[in-house]
Order: sequence, then structure tokens, then C-alpha cells
Amino acid sequence: MKLSLSWIKDYVKIPDDMDLKKLAYDLTMSTVEVEDVEYLARRFDNMVVGVIEKIEPHPNADKLRVCKVDIGGGDVKTIVCGGINLSEGMRVAVSCPGAIVRWHGEGEPVEIKNSKLRGVESYGMICASDEIGLGDLFPASQEAEILDLSAFDVPAGTPLAEALDMDDVLLEIDNKSMTNRPDLWGHYGIARELAALYDLPLVEFKPYEPETGNEFKVEIQSPERCARFIGVEMSGVGIQESPYQMRNRIWKAGMRPINALVDITNYVMLATGNPTHAYDADNITDHIVVRQANEGEKLILLNDEELNLCPDDLVITDSEGPVGLAGVMGGAKDSILPDTKRVILEVANFEATGIRRTTQRYDFRTEASSRYEKAVDPERCVQAVSLAMKYFHEFYPELKVTGYCDQYVKKLKRAEIDVSLTWLAKRLGKNLTNEEIRNKLELLGFDVAIDGDNMHVTAPTWRSTGDISIKDDVMEEVARMYGYDNFEATSFTTTFEGAINQRDQDLIRNIKEYLAIRCGMQEVYTYPWMNDVFVNAVLQDTTGVLRLSMPPAPDLSCIRSSLLPNLCEAVVKNERYFNDFSIFEEAQVFFDRNYTSPYDETESLPEQRRHIGGAFASSVKDITELFREAKGVLEYMPRYTHMGAFTFRKEEKPVWADNVVWLNLFLGEEKIGDMGLVAKKVSMECGIKNLSVMLFEMDATKLKPLKSRTNKFTHLAEYPETDYDISMLFDSDAAWEDIYDAIMGQKKASALLKEAAFVDEYRGKQIPDGKKSVTIRLTIGSGEKTLTSQEIESAANQVMKKLGKKMGAELRTQ
Amino acid sequence: MKDKINEILSEAQNKISAAASESELQSVKSAYVGKQGSLTMMMKEMPKLDPALRPEMGKLLNQAKNQVTELIDAKRMELKLKASEVSPDFDCTVPGILPPKGGLHPITQMCYDLNDAFRSMGFEIFQEDEITSELYAFDKLNFPPNHPARESMDTYWLEGHDSGSTNEKLCLRPHLTGGSVRYMQTHKPPYRFVYPGRVYRNETTDAHHERAFFQYEALIVDKDITFTSGKVMIKSILNKVFGTDVPVRMRSGFFPFVEPGFEIDMQCQVCGGKGCSVCKHVGWIEVMPGGSPHPNVLRAAGLDPDEYTGFYVNIGLDRLVMMRYGVDDVRLFHSADLRFLKQFR
Repeated sequence: MKLSLSWIKDYVKIPDDMDLKKLAYDLTMSTVEVEDVEYLARRFDNMVVGVIEKIEPHPNADKLRVCKVDIGGGDVKTIVCGGINLSEGMRVAVSCPGAIVRWHGEGEPVEIKNSKLRGVESYGMICASDEIGLGDLFPASQEAEILDLSAFDVPAGTPLAEALDMDDVLLEIDNKSMTNRPDLWGHYGIARELAALYDLPLVEFKPYEPETGNEFKVEIQSPERCARFIGVEMSGVGIQESPYQMRNRIWKAGMRPINALVDITNYVMLATGNPTHAYDADNITDHIVVRQANEGEKLILLNDEELNLCPDDLVITDSEGPVGLAGVMGGAKDSILPDTKRVILEVANFEATGIRRTTQRYDFRTEASSRYEKAVDPERCVQAVSLAMKYFHEFYPELKVTGYCDQYVKKLKRAEIDVSLTWLAKRLGKNLTNEEIRNKLELLGFDVAIDGDNMHVTAPTWRSTGDISIKDDVMEEVARMYGYDNFEATSFTTTFEGAINQRDQDLIRNIKEYLAIRCGMQEVYTYPWMNDVFVNAVLQDTTGVLRLSMPPAPDLSCIRSSLLPNLCEAVVKNERYFNDFSIFEEAQVFFDRNYTSPYDETESLPEQRRHIGGAFASSVKDITELFREAKGVLEYMPRYTHMGAFTFRKEEKPVWADNVVWLNLFLGEEKIGDMGLVAKKVSMECGIKNLSVMLFEMDATKLKPLKSRTNKFTHLAEYPETDYDISMLFDSDAAWEDIYDAIMGQKKASALLKEAAFVDEYRGKQIPDGKKSVTIRLTIGSGEKTLTSQEIESAANQVMKKLGKKMGAELRTQ
Repeated sequence: MKDKINEILSEAQNKISAAASESELQSVKSAYVGKQGSLTMMMKEMPKLDPALRPEMGKLLNQAKNQVTELIDAKRMELKLKASEVSPDFDCTVPGILPPKGGLHPITQMCYDLNDAFRSMGFEIFQEDEITSELYAFDKLNFPPNHPARESMDTYWLEGHDSGSTNEKLCLRPHLTGGSVRYMQTHKPPYRFVYPGRVYRNETTDAHHERAFFQYEALIVDKDITFTSGKVMIKSILNKVFGTDVPVRMRSGFFPFVEPGFEIDMQCQVCGGKGCSVCKHVGWIEVMPGGSPHPNVLRAAGLDPDEYTGFYVNIGLDRLVMMRYGVDDVRLFHSADLRFLKQFR
């Protein structure tokens, strides 16, 4: 909302030496956010009123004229101009060098400089209205029309800002910050707030006294939706331009002046915050009825849009049907037309939520509806009608009021609240005296009665439409008037009842830190919605996948049930820049099943779980290396993060995985996740070019944090242990798990064996087809003595013999 | 003869201690105890000596020879220990081999820093599901039935769950505060918890607007708390993020779920409050809403608002992190672009 300071000053006497920065600051801190304070005159710097003394043709251009323009003090300049309405003696707006204009009202602002136009030296520019931002205030009737200021009786050289009454300050207020303060929507409302903040006198409107005894008939059939309707029927009006001051103010507030009848209604709304409307009285048949619309009833609006109404819409009707959508927009039938002679002024009060429902239904808002839907108080109608009639009489001396009514069917009750002063002091954290409290509230228009600890507060009418309704609201009023900045920060006390122990929370964090810091993976965030391409490639099935009803894009409607599609997308995005990287994400996934809610038995929420997923992508590592890297990260995770260990099994191949390289993760007998190589087909569909990608995903909600760190201590070996490597040939499909089991299983190959570890495996040169060589590191030692080399060798031989017997392994000879 | 031996000995001692390299030491060795060495030569001349003197002189000569040899060995060890194992052209400016170079997302990092700070003040960490019903997203937070935030324009509703009564309508949570009500419903007061999480708004995105962003909510509810206690929470957050005390101001603001409500501004960290393009020349930047939970919200959580009150703040982590590092496009956070993410350690 834009406010003119000079307009505000009509209602509150702000001292001339008031620091406007401070005013904006105070208003921001206590009431509403002032987003900008604009010294309007600056837009018109270096612009003056000039008088054209002589017009000559341009020697080199048919469309241009060479004007001699008096820009004050007898200083006559030559200005080249292409305006079509130039005449000698005309007053024009001259932009001198240094002024900022927009050529033809379009494009970026440019600075005026002395220049040559087709060979003729030109000083500045004679402006059209839209070139200096005044297109709405002085609409041009045709192109290349120069702004004619002849109606402004000022001498040449008068600064343009002064001549056009632009020596004003505009306050721009963030509408969002005043949604809960309907009383502030208008210059008078802000004036009233400033009067309270600075304890300044506020101008009161003199109530309008109808100069007729004739009743103008209005019937309100829905008192719940229309609390008040003041109607004034007048003759002796007509279409004319309103005086400049009114047009100027309407323009400053960001609206367009139209004609005197419409301008009065807009001006009154901008001043008081109460929308008003004028109907052409000759087009109203019989009397006005305010009622809810009938199903399917039609209404053609002012803007020619036709609505199919429903009973929840409130309409203004005459005996023939709807003539306006109450509180939103007038109808075409009774709008002000060039030949309007008689009008009916409507100053009414409509209920907020009904107006809001109607605007939501038809999906448009107007200046009127956006005010009504904040809940305007019906007492304000009095101010609005008083101000409106002042201008009607002023603009139309011949005007006659032929009918009047004030149907006030649902009287506003001022909000009354009891506040305990002890409670107030406790919540404020500060002891204010009763007088301080009373004073602050009374400045805001509250009535205050203090009796012992109880303060009985009666809110002013303009704060009684919901804004002030509970004692906390009263507390806020006192606090903001006192100034939030004036309250010291108070510390709060804590009772520690033992350390906070949130193992589940800590586990997730430990896992993430393990993956990032220990394993060198990079955490990424992706959106909860998935791209259809990756859904189809990776998940291949959308059963049980939830969707958005209005997704960010048509192909992003699926909400993730797995982290893997988005991880694959992230791999694709990064392939351009990296050839070896690993990423992970921890996020929530959603399933269209198991609806329930632990919080409210009427609520039913879908199954939601927390997953951790990762991707290892490389075009430089071979598959074995990549697989072992990924598997190693998972294998070590439970140990490092102190959670229940999981095991790897091969039970159910993930749909996206390669036929051979995949594993399921199990915690006890429950499957909690998968890992595996992305199948070639999936990888192609995703658009992955050269990278091999190993994925994993697990359900973090199923992981079990241990109660504390669980490391085990074993005594250090008393006698030396020896590492002894053996390499043997196995069948190519022999599994390490089985080899290990043969060596270290229930019946150990030798009593002296402490451990057997995989070193590497090899296929290829010197290894027969269908075989592989596996190198195993045996740790051999005794708890009783230092072993001799014969004893060590014999232990190793026992292992080799057993592997030979159980696995058909042979010692590598080459 | 005796004097000559002593003379040679002290000469040899000086040369040994002056020797700076193995080769110098070697030449000292051959000069005294080598085949042509002076002590060896004297040894060779023993037969020419008076037999009566021979035993004594022989003993002296042997002692001298041994002493020189010992000194040379000692010096050799000394030189060896002093020397480097590599040649002097070893380049110490080659870069080190770094440990694994992974990292947490910059917002996770900030979130964990804040968690640590709040834990130290006795706050619990709370986490809740991202899909919620309109009942918790709006009703329980005192949003009027026709509030514009409920419209699909602003909130992501789920297909097949986008109509009906408010306990049936489901959406991706538009803010965290509804989850706070869930916490309060299931825990006993007093409350002291933080609630980090991602929220979703149906917006057109640009460098400053995102559809998914991180909030960090902190709530304290107790019997005797004033809204001014909230200042402590706000200061803790900003101090943790910016590493220094950042001036803040609380001004009047309106949110349905708090009463009184505040907009909390911090001094612009780019210009230090002098006014710049980042803060639109006001010196302050709006960083979070805050306030005391509205009595209706406390009631929705099953508390008596006459008995309990509290303070709540909800801060947008994305914006703070952007400000902290000078990130100029909020969309980078969800880009999964490693060129961006790898910059944060």
C-alpha cells in the first residue's frame, strides 16, 4: 500500500521537523513494515515548467519542430520536439540536462543531456506524460502528444514537482504486515496509529447529516453477511474530471483517476479504508435488496465478465436481478456511464470470510474485496459517507440528495477483555505502572478500567472485528507501544534431569558423518519429487507411489518412495565434470499404504520412512574395485557407528541391479536394504554415459543404535604371531565366504590359526581357464610359546590340505 | 717419542672434530692409522727403538691408535645421525596427500552446529514426517478456514488427498510448526526442543525462491517465560552461524500461530548496518518470525494457555547459509552439483 504523507497530514498534525526516517522506523518497529520512504519530488529533479514562445520548422526533419522555450527568468532555450500538439504560449514540462526520463515511456531510465537532433542543438526535452512517469495521471489521447500544463497557472521556471504538487513523501507499506490490521487500510488508519505512537491530535470526521427526509429503501435479507448499508440517492451529478488535487492523490496511492464520480468513491476508500460504490440511479429498478444469489443466477460485471452465481455469493440486486457482486465489483448494468445524471452511493459493510470465499471462487481480487476480506468495522461507514458527501457537494453545487437510509442491522460490539495485571507483568517480564499501561492503551483508543489486579479493557470499534479478542492481544498492544527494543533479553532457567539421550537422532548423524568424513562421500540434497525418466528407469513400477496434485512440472508428479532415482539423476548431472565420485543422501520416502496417525485418530497419514542411499560412480575403477569400495563402506558402517550389525545375503535382486553384482542387506531376518551395480539397460535409460555406478539404499528407521559404544578388549598376544601368505588355485566360481568358512569355520584347519584374510584374487595369464588364484593371509600363533618355522609351516600346510580336500584347491605352482 | 705421540694424538683429535664429512674423516683415518698413517709408521719403527723403552712406547702407541679409531667411529656416527636420508633437492612444496575428501551438505553442517549449541542448553532434537494433514498444517495453528496459504497455489497437496475435511487432506508440510504441535501432544511440559527439517511451498523458483527449503524451529514452553527470553534463543542461533554476536531487533509482526508475533531482523552482515544493496539500504535483514505460541495453538497441543506460555522462532537455514558464504542462488542447495557442494568443509 502506498501512502502520501501530505494526505496523512490532513488527519494528524505531524510536526514539520519530524525525521521521516525515524517515523518509518517507529512504524516498522511497532506496527507495520515500511518498505520504502520515497521523496517523490526527486523523480522530477531538473524538470521545470516551460512556456513555448516560438515554434519553427526543423530544417532537416518534417516531423520535428524547433521551439524557443522560456524556462524561467527570461532564459529561453532552443528545444527540438516532435510533439503533435505544440502551440505557442503552451506550458510544458521541460526535462533539463540531468533529468531522468524514459523515452516514449518505455525501456530503461536515461539521463537527459544537451544534444544535437538532426543537426540542430537542443537543450533538454519537452516531455510527454508517460516519459516522466505521469501517464496514469495525465493520460495522453494519442501518440506523440506532449503533456499540456497550460491549466497550471505558474510562471515559467517553476520546478515541475512544485507545480504539480509532487513535493510529497510516499510511504510504501508491506501489505503482508497488515493483514491482521484492517483498521490501517487507508490514510486515516495510519494517521490514527501515528497519533497514538506520538501522542498527537487526530482530526475527527463530522458525521454526515442527510438533508432530506425521504427514505431511500434498502432491504438487507442476509444480515449475517451485510451488517450495514448506507445509501444516498442524489441527482444533479454528471461525468466530469475531478479537481487536480484529488486526481493527484489517487495517483500517488497507486490508482488511476477516472472521472469525478468514480474518483470520489476511490478517494474515500483510500482515505478511510471503507470501499464505496456509485450506481447509476436511473438504471436501478425499484429498490435495492442485499441477498444471497440464487443457484445459477447470472451477473455481468463491470469488466463484462459473466458469472454464474451460487447461493454463497452475496449480491446487490434490484427487482430485476443482481446489479453487483457485493463488496467485490459492480455490475455492468448500473455502472457509471457518460450520461449518468443521478447516482446511488453505497457505503456498506460486508462480512469478511464470505467476500473471501467469493473471490477465491472466481479467482480475482479487487481493491474493495481485499479490504473487506480483512474484516472492516461497520462504524467506519460513518466516516466514509461524511467524506464522500463533502466532495459530492463540493464538486456538484447543484446536487440534491433525494433519498437516504442507514440500515445498520448487525451492530458491532466492542471487544471487552479482562486482563490480570499480575499475568501481564509476568508475560512482559517487566513491571510497568498501571498509569503507563493505561496511557498506552488509551492512546490506541481503548477504554481501560482497573480494579485491583483486574484490568477491564474495551477495544475501539476499529479494532473489534477479530483483531483484538484475547488478553494476549492486549499484552501485545502494551508491549509494542512500549517498544520491543526496550525490553532486555531475559535468560531462562533449565532443569537438567540427566543428559539428553536421543540415540536414533545420533545414529543418523553418525552415519552421515561416517559416510562424508570417513568414507569421503559427498552429501547431496535432492527434491522429494522424482522425474518420470528416472522413475521409469530405476523403479520401473509406480505401484504405491504417491503423487502431487499440482506438481512443479508435469513429469515431476511422483513423490519419492526411494532415493535411488534422484541419486541417478545427480550422477548424470555430475558426469560432465567428474569421472570418479561418490554421493549420498538421507531423506524421507513415502508410500501409499498403511495409513494411520499416532497423533489424532481422525487423521490418516501414509507410511513415511527415512532412507539413506548412496552412489559410487567411476569410469576409472574396475567393477571389482568399485564393488569392494561400496561394500567396504557398508561393512564397516555398523562397527563405526555403533549399531546392530547387518549381514549381506542374495535373496531378492533389486529391479535396477545387474544380474550378478548385487546383495541384499539384512538385519537379523529382516531385509533393510540393497546394494548393487546399476544394470546396463537402466544406466542407459538414465543417460549415464561412461560411468559404472554402484548404488545402495537402506531403511534408516530400521537400524538399531547400540546403547553405548561396544568395543571388545582382548589381551595382547603374549607370543609373537606370524602372517603367512598362501596362494591357491580354486574353481572360478568358488566364493570367498566358503573359503573362509573352510579355514576358520566350526572346525578350524589348525589350532594355531588366529585369522585368515583375503588378500586378492587373480584370473588371467598363467591361470588355467575356469580357475582363479586367491591369495590368503593366515595369522598363525600360539598362546603358549613362540612357534618355530616348522610349526608355522605345518599349520599353513594343514590349511592348504583342508582347502584341497574341501574346495578342490591346488597350490599355485607357477 | 712420548711427546711426539701426544702431539700426533692431539693433532688427530682436532682434525677429527673438525671433519665435516665422511670423506674428510676417511682421509684423517688414513693419515694417522692407515697403512701409511703416522701412528702406523711409528709402530713400524718400533724395532729400531731401545728395547727398554719398547713396551711402554708400544703400549702408548696402541692406546693412541685405539683412541683415534674410536674417535673416528664416534664422529662417523655423529655425522651419520646429523645427515638427511634424502638428497638436498627434495621438494617440500609438493602438495600433501589428503584424507578422504567427502563432506556434509552446507545446510547439514549448519544444522548440526545449531543442534550442538541447543543441546548444550538442554534442548532435545525433534524430527517429524514431511507429509502432514491440513489439520496439523493449518487448523491446529490457528489459521482461519479461508487463509490463502491453504490454497493449492501455495501448498503441495497430494493427488487423491486434496479434498475433503482437513484431517483427510494431505500435503507436503508447508512449515514445521504443525509438527511442533505433534511434539507437544506427545510429551510432557516443560518443552525445550529444536526441530530442523525441510518444508515445501508451491512457488515459482528463481535465485531467491525455492520450492524446498530448510527451516530450523526452536520452541520453549514453560510456566514462567516472557517473550524476552526468546532473545536468548535468537542470539544463540545467530552467534553460532556467524561466529560473532549479531545485533538483532524484534518488531511487530503477524502470524496466526503466535501472539504476540515478531519479525526478527538482524543487522546486515554485508555492510555492518550502514545500508547496502543486499539489505535494500535499511541496514537490517529480516531473518525469522518468532513469538509466543498463540493460546489456541497451546490448546490444540492440550495445554492450558493460562498456565503455560513460551517462545518460538523459526529460521530459514538456506538464507542464513547464503548470507554466511555469499551464495547468490538458493537453487544450488538442491542442485546436487558437486562443484558447489565440495566448496563447503
